[in-house]
Amino acid sequence: MNAAAEAMQRRHGDSLWNKAWRKFRHDRVGVVALLVVCAYAIVALGVVLGWWATGWADISGPKWAPLSSEHWLGTNIIGQDIFSRAVYSTRTAFEVGLIVALGATFIGAVLGAIAGFFSATWIDEAVIWLMGVLDSVPFILLVAAIAYSLQDSPWAMHIAMIATFWIGTARLVRGEVIKLKGQEFVESAHAIGLGRMTIIFRHILPNTFHVLLVQATLSFVAAIKSEVILSFLGLGVKDGMSWGLMISESTFEVLAGYFNNFIAASVLMFGLVMAFNMFSDALQDALDPRTVK
Amino acid sequence: MEVLLYSLRKLLAGIPLVLGVTLISFLLIVYFGPDKTYELVGKNPTAEQIAEVRSQLGYDRPFVTRYMEYLREIVTLDFGSSESTDEKVSSILARTIPVSLLLALPGFILGNALGVLLALVAAYFRGGLVDKLIMGSAAVGMSVSYLIAIIGFQILLSSADGLDLFPVRGWDTSTPLAYIQHVTVPTLATVFVALGYNTRFYRAVIVEEMTRDHVRTARAFGIPPAKIFYRNILKNSMVPIVTRVVFSIPLIVISGSLLLESYFGIPGIGKVSYDAIITGDQPVLKAVVALTAILFVVAQLLTDICYRLVDPRVSLGASTR
Amino acid sequence: MPAPLLEVNNLVVEFSTDAGVVRAVDDVSFSVAAGETVGLVGESGCGKTVTGLALLGLVPTPPGRLASGSIRLDGQELAGLDDSSWRSVRGRKVAMIFQEPMTALNPVFRIGNQMIDVLRQHQRITRRQARAAAIEMLAKVGIPAPDKRIQEYPHQLSGGMRQRVMIAMALSCSPRLLVADEPTTALDVTTQAQVLEQMVRLQQEFGMSMILITHDMGVVAQSCSKAMVMYSGRVVEQAPVTELFARPRHPYTGGLLASIPRIREQRIPELPVIEGTVPDPLNLPEGCRFADRCNKVRDYCRLAQPELKPIGRADSKVACYVPD
Ligand SMILES: Nc1ncnc2c1ncn2[C@@H]1O[C@H](COP(=O)(O)OP(=O)(O)OP(=O)(O)O)[C@@H](O)[C@H]1O
Ligand SMILES: [Mg+2]
Repeated sequence: MNAAAEAMQRRHGDSLWNKAWRKFRHDRVGVVALLVVCAYAIVALGVVLGWWATGWADISGPKWAPLSSEHWLGTNIIGQDIFSRAVYSTRTAFEVGLIVALGATFIGAVLGAIAGFFSATWIDEAVIWLMGVLDSVPFILLVAAIAYSLQDSPWAMHIAMIATFWIGTARLVRGEVIKLKGQEFVESAHAIGLGRMTIIFRHILPNTFHVLLVQATLSFVAAIKSEVILSFLGLGVKDGMSWGLMISESTFEVLAGYFNNFIAASVLMFGLVMAFNMFSDALQDALDPRTVK
Repeated sequence: MEVLLYSLRKLLAGIPLVLGVTLISFLLIVYFGPDKTYELVGKNPTAEQIAEVRSQLGYDRPFVTRYMEYLREIVTLDFGSSESTDEKVSSILARTIPVSLLLALPGFILGNALGVLLALVAAYFRGGLVDKLIMGSAAVGMSVSYLIAIIGFQILLSSADGLDLFPVRGWDTSTPLAYIQHVTVPTLATVFVALGYNTRFYRAVIVEEMTRDHVRTARAFGIPPAKIFYRNILKNSMVPIVTRVVFSIPLIVISGSLLLESYFGIPGIGKVSYDAIITGDQPVLKAVVALTAILFVVAQLLTDICYRLVDPRVSLGASTR
Repeated sequence: MPAPLLEVNNLVVEFSTDAGVVRAVDDVSFSVAAGETVGLVGESGCGKTVTGLALLGLVPTPPGRLASGSIRLDGQELAGLDDSSWRSVRGRKVAMIFQEPMTALNPVFRIGNQMIDVLRQHQRITRRQARAAAIEMLAKVGIPAPDKRIQEYPHQLSGGMRQRVMIAMALSCSPRLLVADEPTTALDVTTQAQVLEQMVRLQQEFGMSMILITHDMGVVAQSCSKAMVMYSGRVVEQAPVTELFARPRHPYTGGLLASIPRIREQRIPELPVIEGTVPDPLNLPEGCRFADRCNKVRDYCRLAQPELKPIGRADSKVACYVPD
């Protein structure tokens, strides 16, 4: 192992993250946004652990009950407690967001790194072709087609999102890897005879982690937003409850003048998406080498 | 002549893309799609009846033959008839695409025009209060789901609880007034959702162009701001702006309004696609997917030609990608 | 002695950054006589470009601002002008050539159009006349077949050609003062020499004054009559070139000169290396900013900043407690 090259690489990495953390800490909007996201995450964790919102599916009151101490946000068209359902949906949002973000970022990182490392060979061409193809299939049709061929599997939505969201990440990682692979530490890794896969995944890819982190936050937000639309169209969450399902339920209610369901789901979702967007922006700012002081 | 040759070459270069898209959709929709035999045969079918239906559906032929069949349909633009209504797919497209365009264009144009405008204002005052205000609003707009915006505007403008100015749903273009009444709410929702993204993107482009060296050169020679703005900043921003606009066109022509149309019950291509998804109407789905891919290739060609018009560094002869 | 063309007094330029206020140019004073070429040298980041930009009112605002000081050009006070008054100064009275010729021209317009724009901005002439003047200028800076070249886009020209176009553009308005910010750094060695030679010849022909910003002490020796050495935002030494080379007073100048390569053909991308680093602009020491790298440092050097004071018989100034 070339110790000098390793040390150099690590030093570069360390200082980037230290500087980014220092910069992020001073970004008040970013810190508040992160706290909000953490609050949502705790709510979601509580649902998973069965601390709250356990009765989201029970019919516990009359239809369209107004706000009360028993039903904080009233009840829906068949008398289910809107507050529990909205809280329960937080868990669904995190589930969808995390699975899609991790999956898309992983595939994007791997394919992007391989394409970048083998740039201007047929491997690169093939990945570029695949990205172009998946980009040109209308998203909703792709979801439908995947749902179709998986015989209505509840994972069709996740798979379809991952199948499209990795592309943006892969493009960025590819560019980043093309830049990195000419650098000294990569050349010294070649010189001491490390395998190509080792070089790609142990030495180059870790240096694109800042790109991956930002892309993961973007995929998370995109997944939550897509879930709402897909669930409304009947292509999204199959069992359980989600903000998208609540909103699609509410489309009948709002015409009758009952807004609780709609407002509860909309406001909660807006809060999470907004906070995540702000957090993502702050992260990007902090990690941008041009603005790091 | 040069442009013509170039276009031809470019279209040929787009063939792998179309092949890829059609192959994936063929695999997903037709090959691994649900077996339709039992929907079509009657009760208690005999083995012969089953075999006959299967051969009608083409299930007994090899994969390659069936895929080639699909490609032949694309080349001849003849996708057969819808399985649910028996209407020719070509006539469905001819009937619904204009509706989708009428529905989507106002929002698309306004969303981009206002986006560029707001981006210019924000970039001009960058770092200042106006900039922060515009970009803050953009961040809020970006966090609102399309569906929520649609329902929100519907409640505000179309329901008895709101202003009750426009019809709740449906589509009517018989008179200009009817058109305006039906298109307003969908347009507002579209603009509301697109504006944040557009403004952010265009501001980034314009700010980048504002900080270029040649802008400083022009200032160092006393060129007035209006001229710098037009000749150094706007002209150089055109390439990314045009790219973004052109690449959104395939989506609005084909499936961009899917949500809008199914929500408001508007008989456009989006609604037709959605119904085809729900009922598994393969001929329609195959046509929609193939058309989108072809439009993407054409869009790519158009952006390349725009590049050439705006940026002298790009020559049509050289690059093929 | 006649009044100098340019007189800069106590110029201060500040940038506000996330981490605090940076003084990129700190209390700089100098003058340039008519027809004179003044060299401005110093390490990367010492404030040379910002000084040049300040003379044209081009300090990017925000984050930068001209905090105080005065800039008198030909009797006119420039500090505090509004943007439209600045515009009548830029190009006409003072022009600037930048370091990076590859990006300094607008890629989407023909160079002819860009030159004609500049010419017509400052003179009441027709397009046709401006075009003829542009061609004539291009020929003067040594561009072959200028009537063809004028039709081309920047990307069709080599780096040296582009820098010549920039020079032609700058000279075409016959400014009184030309600020040339490392005009040849980005070019290869042979082109460097040619472009520089041409520039000096034209400067003499036009009777312009010039501030030549450079990394290369050799260039200063060749082309300048006076030189200023900057360190960490301040001028540490200022002297006629012969005097400076014969007897550098500031230890920093001494260090710079000591390490000039003997072979002149060799290209010097950076100033010669002197041990140590520049102080953090956010965290400047009380005393002399060079103290940590100085081999003659005394205790009192660290107490207060040395002022720029006249020394010797020639028109020299140095900011050092223990000058040579
Ligand atoms: N836009 C800016 N924002 C913040 N600080 C700046 C900006 N421009 C310059 N500075 C500060 O001014 C200092 C001097 O910069 P300047 O470009 O004048 O250096 P220079 O001497 O021209 O260096 P070089 O030889 O590398 O061109 C820099 O160290 C930097 O701290
Ligand atoms: Mg400089």
